[in-house]
Amino acid sequence: MYTCGIDIGSVSTEAVILENSNGKDDAKIYSYIISPTGANSKIAAEKALEKACFQSGLDRSGIDAIVATGYGRINIPFADKNITEISCHARGAISAFAGTRTVIDIGGQDSKVIKLEDGNPIDFLMNDKCAAGTGRFLEVMARALEIDLESFTDIFLSTDGHVDISSTCTVFAESEIVSLIGQGVDKNKIIRGLIYSIVSKITSMVERIGLEEPVCMTGGVAKNLGVVRALEEKLNVKINIPEEPQITGALGAAYLALNL
Amino acid sequence: MVIEVREKIKTNIRRNLDQKYFKRLLGIIARKPVLYAYGSTFSSISDRYLNIFSIRSIRDTYNGKNPVGFGSLFLPYELFYATGITPFLPEVMAGFTAGLGIADQTLKKASSSWYSQDLCTFHRSASGAIEMDLFPDPSFMVCTNLACDAAQKSFYHYAATYGIEKNYCLIDVPYNNNPRSIEYLAGQLKRLAENIEGAAGKKIDMDRFARIIELSNEFRKWALKVNDIRKKLLDYPPNFNGLNFILPFHGLIGTEEAVKLYKNVYLELSGLLSRQKEDPDADKNPPKRILWMHLKPYYKNEIFETIDSGNCKVVFEEINNVYWPRLDPKRPFESLALKMLSHPLTGKASDRTAALGRMADDYNIDGAVLFTHWGCRQSNGSARIIKDYFKERGIPVLVLDGDCVDKSNSAAGQIKTRLQGYMEILNSK
Repeated sequence: MYTCGIDIGSVSTEAVILENSNGKDDAKIYSYIISPTGANSKIAAEKALEKACFQSGLDRSGIDAIVATGYGRINIPFADKNITEISCHARGAISAFAGTRTVIDIGGQDSKVIKLEDGNPIDFLMNDKCAAGTGRFLEVMARALEIDLESFTDIFLSTDGHVDISSTCTVFAESEIVSLIGQGVDKNKIIRGLIYSIVSKITSMVERIGLEEPVCMTGGVAKNLGVVRALEEKLNVKINIPEEPQITGALGAAYLALNL
Repeated sequence: MVIEVREKIKTNIRRNLDQKYFKRLLGIIARKPVLYAYGSTFSSISDRYLNIFSIRSIRDTYNGKNPVGFGSLFLPYELFYATGITPFLPEVMAGFTAGLGIADQTLKKASSSWYSQDLCTFHRSASGAIEMDLFPDPSFMVCTNLACDAAQKSFYHYAATYGIEKNYCLIDVPYNNNPRSIEYLAGQLKRLAENIEGAAGKKIDMDRFARIIELSNEFRKWALKVNDIRKKLLDYPPNFNGLNFILPFHGLIGTEEAVKLYKNVYLELSGLLSRQKEDPDADKNPPKRILWMHLKPYYKNEIFETIDSGNCKVVFEEINNVYWPRLDPKRPFESLALKMLSHPLTGKASDRTAALGRMADDYNIDGAVLFTHWGCRQSNGSARIIKDYFKERGIPVLVLDGDCVDKSNSAAGQIKTRLQGYMEILNSK
């Protein structure tokens, strides 16, 4: 049996095909892809499915069930069901680290904290309607600093100290860092300040919902080890990161498709 | 076709934002044959009477026959009716601005008149409507500090805008419900009656007051019967929403219309309950039962369709809780004082959670949604306390951020995702 989960996010769309030959516990990733969403979420979902099938050499008709998730999950005509990213990230995190109690997901324009009990979500919080505390915040700041986002991790790990970024609004924070650069403040300390700014927003959400270990972090921002280390420091916990954290939602969707 | 007529009326209102146009339109729509023809466009008896009586009561505030008094939500309007005053509730009318699709304009007007963006949009939209001269001219203005802090300041400003600051009264509801508080509050209500007499030139008629108290009790009886039916009912009339009854529940209490409305709601719902009892499939796959706390968006939205489509049902709303004891016609002022003091939003947050706990038991709920309307300190301030209270009882709570009046301050997609995520949790239990 093959199932597919498609996570249509605001920035990227991920598709995961799961192969399951000997019962649900034996499912494994057959193929996955990550591609930009662009302006049309339906086309993005269609293309992601096509690419995932092509990569695996599987014919589309060979997929037994498809679950769509993410902000673009509604009205995907070929999906058998749409399930929220809350349930999908929870399921995906469990498949990577059984026993997870808290999931921190930081995506492109959205962040959430999910509390689990016996593998099932029991409570969650999502960020406000602004970009603060999301991957987009870091992207905008990297552009303003004219520094590659990928280098944030090395800079964070190799620099001591930071400057406080007081603005949580992405637009105002951008003005603030332009002003700090103008004052001659070390860019590396600004980058650490930006990471602590995003982490402060997330830790507040984690504390509101109540931290329970083990903790798993999902979403594209989990690839930024600077953010992960800063979160571990502020929350005083070890955070588990799946091998490819960005596909966790789609993976969870593919697992949930096994139940259809 | 029917919906087209209603939408056309709304479009015309949006194009003619003018009090004279409102008066003319209400004069036409509120004529009995037209009004009942309009009422018949609603598929349920409950909605039919709700709309007929709401339009008629709004018409009465615009037709100039009786003096109009503006009042905040939690006042005892029995007192207004006893003095022959037609009440006008700006906060409820702000909800109508959202429903009619004119709130963007009233809010814009308020914004350009230096009202803070942080102010609750019920008060802000009403402010804008007053600045645009859309509301009828009041003779006096009454407000209470029961629950809402913003109302006291906003209503005073409304009075200043109309130049009737001298006719502004604030009813101070004490924190604790005890005999001394009843005496203190009853004294204020007596003085309010005198002030109304002075401001509106209408004398309070004590015999009429006693009749109105009886009508209030009659309303209470039918509202309790409706609430009792709802403990078991799942098969509601199409588009029925308990959160739409805020005007009659507050502003029409003490009138025959309110009694007639709730009696008809009871008859319609009891008929549906009988049908439900006879349906052998009624108990198959029952929906998860949700208690809705605080208010809802009054502009077009998909919240309740989303809930219904997720195998969940709002089985009761906090605002429909009949919280007060029967009134004593021989001691009307003291009874109305006790009614105000009995409100769960008076006093400690634990009074509110205790009342919510009783509703949770009565309606056997699986979950509870607290809609945290932007700027509503009195309700939102209790969010954590409510969440913790229900958590101890094993009932998950969704705190849903949004705005009842300003749709630009509510992200429909985010609300839908939160609701669906929450329902997935409820349905997994």
